[in-house]
Amino acid sequence: MDLLEYQAKVLFREVGIPVLPSQQIDDPRDLKQLQLPYPIVLKSQVHAGGRGRAGGIRFVENTIDAIAAARTIFNLPIMDEYPQVLLAEARYDTEKECFLAIVFDYLLGCPVLLGSSQGGIQVESVLEQMQKIVLEEAFSPFHARKLTVAMGLQGKAIKSVSEIIVRMYRLFATKDLNSIEINPLGINTAGDVMALDGKITIDDRALGRQWEVLGLLDRLNKVEQNGDTESSHPDVISLPVAYPLEVYNAQGNIGILSNSMGLGMLTWDLLHKEGGKPACCWIMSSESDGILLDEEDLADSLAYALSQVQAVEGVDRILINCLSSAEISTAVAKAIADLIKPQGDTTALADSEDRAERPTALAWRSQRFPRKRTKANKSSRSASNRTETKFIVRLIGVDGEAISTISHSTLYCTEDLTQAIQQTLSFK
Amino acid sequence: MNLTAETKVLIQGIDQPIGRHYAQRMKAYGTLVVAGVSVGHGDTTIDDIPCFNLVEEAIAQVGEIGMSLIFANPYHVLDAALEAIDSGIRQLAIAAAGIPPLDLMQLFDKAKTTNTLILGPGSAGAIVPGKIWIGTCEPQFYTPGNVAMISRSDRLADEVALSLTQGNIGQSIAVHLGTGAMIGSSFRDWLGFLAEDDATEAIVLIEQNAQGSYEAAQELENLNLKKPIVAYVVGHTVPIAKAESDAASAIASQLTCTIPHTNTAKQKIAAFKKAKIAIADYPQDLPTLVNNALKKKTPRRRTPPRRRRSTN
Repeated sequence: MDLLEYQAKVLFREVGIPVLPSQQIDDPRDLKQLQLPYPIVLKSQVHAGGRGRAGGIRFVENTIDAIAAARTIFNLPIMDEYPQVLLAEARYDTEKECFLAIVFDYLLGCPVLLGSSQGGIQVESVLEQMQKIVLEEAFSPFHARKLTVAMGLQGKAIKSVSEIIVRMYRLFATKDLNSIEINPLGINTAGDVMALDGKITIDDRALGRQWEVLGLLDRLNKVEQNGDTESSHPDVISLPVAYPLEVYNAQGNIGILSNSMGLGMLTWDLLHKEGGKPACCWIMSSESDGILLDEEDLADSLAYALSQVQAVEGVDRILINCLSSAEISTAVAKAIADLIKPQGDTTALADSEDRAERPTALAWRSQRFPRKRTKANKSSRSASNRTETKFIVRLIGVDGEAISTISHSTLYCTEDLTQAIQQTLSFK
Repeated sequence: MNLTAETKVLIQGIDQPIGRHYAQRMKAYGTLVVAGVSVGHGDTTIDDIPCFNLVEEAIAQVGEIGMSLIFANPYHVLDAALEAIDSGIRQLAIAAAGIPPLDLMQLFDKAKTTNTLILGPGSAGAIVPGKIWIGTCEPQFYTPGNVAMISRSDRLADEVALSLTQGNIGQSIAVHLGTGAMIGSSFRDWLGFLAEDDATEAIVLIEQNAQGSYEAAQELENLNLKKPIVAYVVGHTVPIAKAESDAASAIASQLTCTIPHTNTAKQKIAAFKKAKIAIADYPQDLPTLVNNALKKKTPRRRTPPRRRRSTN
């Protein structure tokens, strides 16, 4: 999860990394109650980089200008993202700007300290001066000092910048961060330092134990959530019961649902080989993720995943490919039979709408997929959508009778993967 | 690596639904599931398997443990694994996925200094068909034979085993390295073990699109393995978008590998081709490719048995 600048700065303040006096602006009118003396700078709080060049950062001298500038920034999308919050901050005169970061490097399997004596937005000049310390052993402050010396810092700055790195590492280790970055870190003529901008990414896998941070973010977001509950970060973090593969093929008409990512990809490959056009793929959490669902949760998870796949624009058939034990396959078959019932000439996912809509980081991410319908007309789902979807199920070890009883005009079951692929392509 | 029908297995987290489910089935398969650890369940049994509060208590009671299978919640995996290592267990399989990287860093450091072999995280375990099954892979798709499987994917490995089995190719062993961004033992480690394994005549490697930061092919360099290898990479037609990295800024990510999954199927396939490894496009192609590889190998196989006889 990526924190915005104003959120990151709250964490900076917690560990004593100096930040400028600032105020969170949720509405341009908030500027009438500004506690900071002018001049100030107003900064759009969006995730994308390059805010300054896009016009998301403005310097203002008085309230009238500030309100006008704030309105402009609130209405300025940067990489398709409208800011929900602005940060009003005091101005700061620096003599020198540096770049500091601690990043988890997956190739090395450990954190890396990065520092450049040249900070700011000119990427190439930052990179030119970049120094790197790989933390193959446990971090100790001397690693920070080594970095600052390698960066060419001198005098008082060695101590003050090392101290910032030590504090950054404290956040990195205690908050399960993937990365923490200060760019620029301002250093003034007296050798004092100031974190002028910051980026923090919390590891998604650790969100469930970083409830302190999440609570903090919730408090910061209070006003925002009253206005718009959709744009905020997920407020409940649990193991996802189902999640999408981050692919979407707009030309596709086949939705894939599998109990394993590898199997989902194989299904995609095989459909592609035979000239089919997969649109999307969802994965249900299963034993191979270390999760064993009981029958009821399995049915919920399946209902949720199917409703997600069915809602993707263009999908008119869904291939469910699950490989598991006979016992679990039978439970899946039963759940499918319950969910997909022939109802006269319509086939519908039986009341799957409100089941298992567990907000998870991943479920939330899935909203990137173009959907057939918006939340507004959720209840008035058109009947034509219902009749169109065909289901093809591949399960192994379910006894034949159970299979034949669940098959009908829109639902085809088989044990054989090749047959399932063929049927998916030929289903009329 | 030491996995035989006599290997004693401990299950940490046996009170979890998944722990209990697999403990029972593994035992029925013939695996020596000798004990379980579950805090608060000491002095009880779960499905006739004695349970203990501590790993050391289990060992005191049932003797040396060959492998521990860990079903803990992701945030408790580090602690469970450290406890097992501290109690002297040197082979671990971690089923849970989604363990924070800093925990893994600490665990792998400990594993290195204690020479502990770790499968996972996100591992479906290991199976020597007909002898021992540890983990969440599905044994009914595997049959005894002479071809080893090393998988960096998930349930897909079961599908591959099924394809091999249907093509009359049995397996000497199948190991699931795990699906995590960082894993304990690697392809290279296992290729080393399998080079020495008399039951293994050929090896199938299974990789996945956008899984892991580097490819198995890289680990094959300078390995000089005498046994033929066939590779299969799933997802070569899946257009997985390049992971966005607004996370660490453009600057930091230019110098470090900030995204766990970087290598696409196409890159992996290219690397295997460069290493002159036969590649299956689909699992169904594997039996033919494996048979071809074994046939080609036969003339060269004449020497080892003779040498073995002379050393006896």
